[in-house]
Amino acid sequence: MSNANLMAPNPTVLAAQAAAAQNPHLRKIRDLIYKVAGILQPDHKLQFLEDRCGRRMQQLKTTSLHAYYDCLTMSSVRDEEMKELLNEITIGETCFFRNAPQLDALRTVVFPAILKNKSHLAYRHLRLWSAGCSTGEEAYTLAILLLQEREGALKSVNVEVVATDLNLRSLEAAEAGVYGDYALRNVNPLMRQKYFIPAGERLAVKPEVKSLVKFSRLNLMDDARMTFMKGMDVIFCCNVMIYFDGAVRKRIVQHFYNNLLPNSYLYVGHAESLYGINNDFHLVHFPGATAYLKPEKRMGGGA
Amino acid sequence: MDRIEQKLAEIASLPTIPTLLVPLLQHLCEPAEEVSMDRVVKIISQDPSLAAQCLRMVNSPLFGVRYPIDTVRGAVMGLGANRVRQIAMACSLLKAFHTKGAVPARALWAHSLAVAMVAQKFAHEAGFADPEQAYSAGLLHDLGIMVALSACPAEFDGAAQAASREHRALYLCERELNGFDHCAIGSMLARKWQLPAPYQHVLQYHHEVEQAPAHRCLVAIVSLADVLCRLRNLGYGFEEIGFVDLATEPAWAFAADGLPRMQEFDLARFTMELDAFIAEVERSVTALFELV
Repeated sequence: MSNANLMAPNPTVLAAQAAAAQNPHLRKIRDLIYKVAGILQPDHKLQFLEDRCGRRMQQLKTTSLHAYYDCLTMSSVRDEEMKELLNEITIGETCFFRNAPQLDALRTVVFPAILKNKSHLAYRHLRLWSAGCSTGEEAYTLAILLLQEREGALKSVNVEVVATDLNLRSLEAAEAGVYGDYALRNVNPLMRQKYFIPAGERLAVKPEVKSLVKFSRLNLMDDARMTFMKGMDVIFCCNVMIYFDGAVRKRIVQHFYNNLLPNSYLYVGHAESLYGINNDFHLVHFPGATAYLKPEKRMGGGA
Repeated sequence: MDRIEQKLAEIASLPTIPTLLVPLLQHLCEPAEEVSMDRVVKIISQDPSLAAQCLRMVNSPLFGVRYPIDTVRGAVMGLGANRVRQIAMACSLLKAFHTKGAVPARALWAHSLAVAMVAQKFAHEAGFADPEQAYSAGLLHDLGIMVALSACPAEFDGAAQAASREHRALYLCERELNGFDHCAIGSMLARKWQLPAPYQHVLQYHHEVEQAPAHRCLVAIVSLADVLCRLRNLGYGFEEIGFVDLATEPAWAFAADGLPRMQEFDLARFTMELDAFIAEVERSVTALFELV
């Protein structure tokens, strides 16, 4: 695994990376985004951030990162501009099997651990929640994963995926379940054949996949309805929290905590952090991925 | 027991300590910059072949120096005393242990360099008094494995394969199959080499901080850096542990007790920033291996 980066570094790329990492205004913008939205662009991703800032600066006809930083902090439209920038950063994030290490951990560590905890039960149920499911790629990915595992570890376990979003248009697309090449870029030919059927130029998810997923409209800020999403084993909420401010994020994450069974997991986007949002979850590490664990017993404070 | 002692006897014939290692380890914590520059220049200049290696490393594309550097003093002026000290330590250790062409050796060096860098960053952010000491400790922590690779390769390989197959911690498989682990070997080496006490403790206790009689914060930092690296593609070069909850690790509790800034420590951000290290570590190891 560690041999992946053995190729000789391209000096041009390295130089550009180093230049971006040393730009103080870019670093200030990075830290601002982390503070406001909990999304981090580490040093080796600063060039990407520079590029996305560049797109916004072109729109605004701003010529320096310094001026753009001022726009994000002092102008009357700073909140709107931050939303625009966050959109640029997370655009194109949605696709099938987006985060392979995260899904590997789910299959090899999380499912076995959850099933072990339920081994004394006669009727075993596994409920996953895709919170902020957008057009459904993540929810169907989870359903495919469950189908694959049902041939092995999840035999005789009742499984379901609950998928919610605020946007009705997204939900319509999700229920239709028809996808193009971009959304399917991580799906290999074998899986395409097994879980999809051709729909013109595109592919539609098969009914057996669809039957595991239940879509519904939910506003994560709706406290009354959030209270009813009980008994979850795993919650996925990736790149959704960026649209809420700190106080709302705290409330939503507390709901997630309450809705999860003990020893269950919350997954957030690979660049997202709950630092300062919640102290009850433990940030746990898998190979190449992290998740937030609701521990069995509350242990005050900590990581 | 006698198997362990038999190993000890074999280990007695193992590498002698690189002459300059202990002087390099005994850096002064936050000395005046000129004092530490002079010290490092003086130490490295005692060994012309080490000095030459350091210079080749310094001039490798890794550091992007604009003009060729041809003296140790020039290297220290360009990169700083601490960076050159770190390079010299790595070069002198690699010379003592290098087994040519062995893949596990390369992965291990990557792991050691990664733990050194992560331990230094962790120490810095958690408010440990001497982050440079954490770097050195990270670089040295798995010398026991380096020894095992040449002293008892078959036994070590068996444990490594079991760890990889069963997704269990390497040191536990070593204990179970061989009756001893790389910490025990490391501790023998540390005593034989008469390493300063903090490093002896790190070599011996980095998988069980609670057993360490002293220097627990340093041992805890290396221990946490080690676990993080093993879960971020910077492990021993094979799949091993699949999960860790740092909050329940004894090392975390010792760090939380003893380090002034652990309350504010942002583990999520720290973890994301580690990914930037992977490429840098690979480049460092490539540069190091081209030297020998």
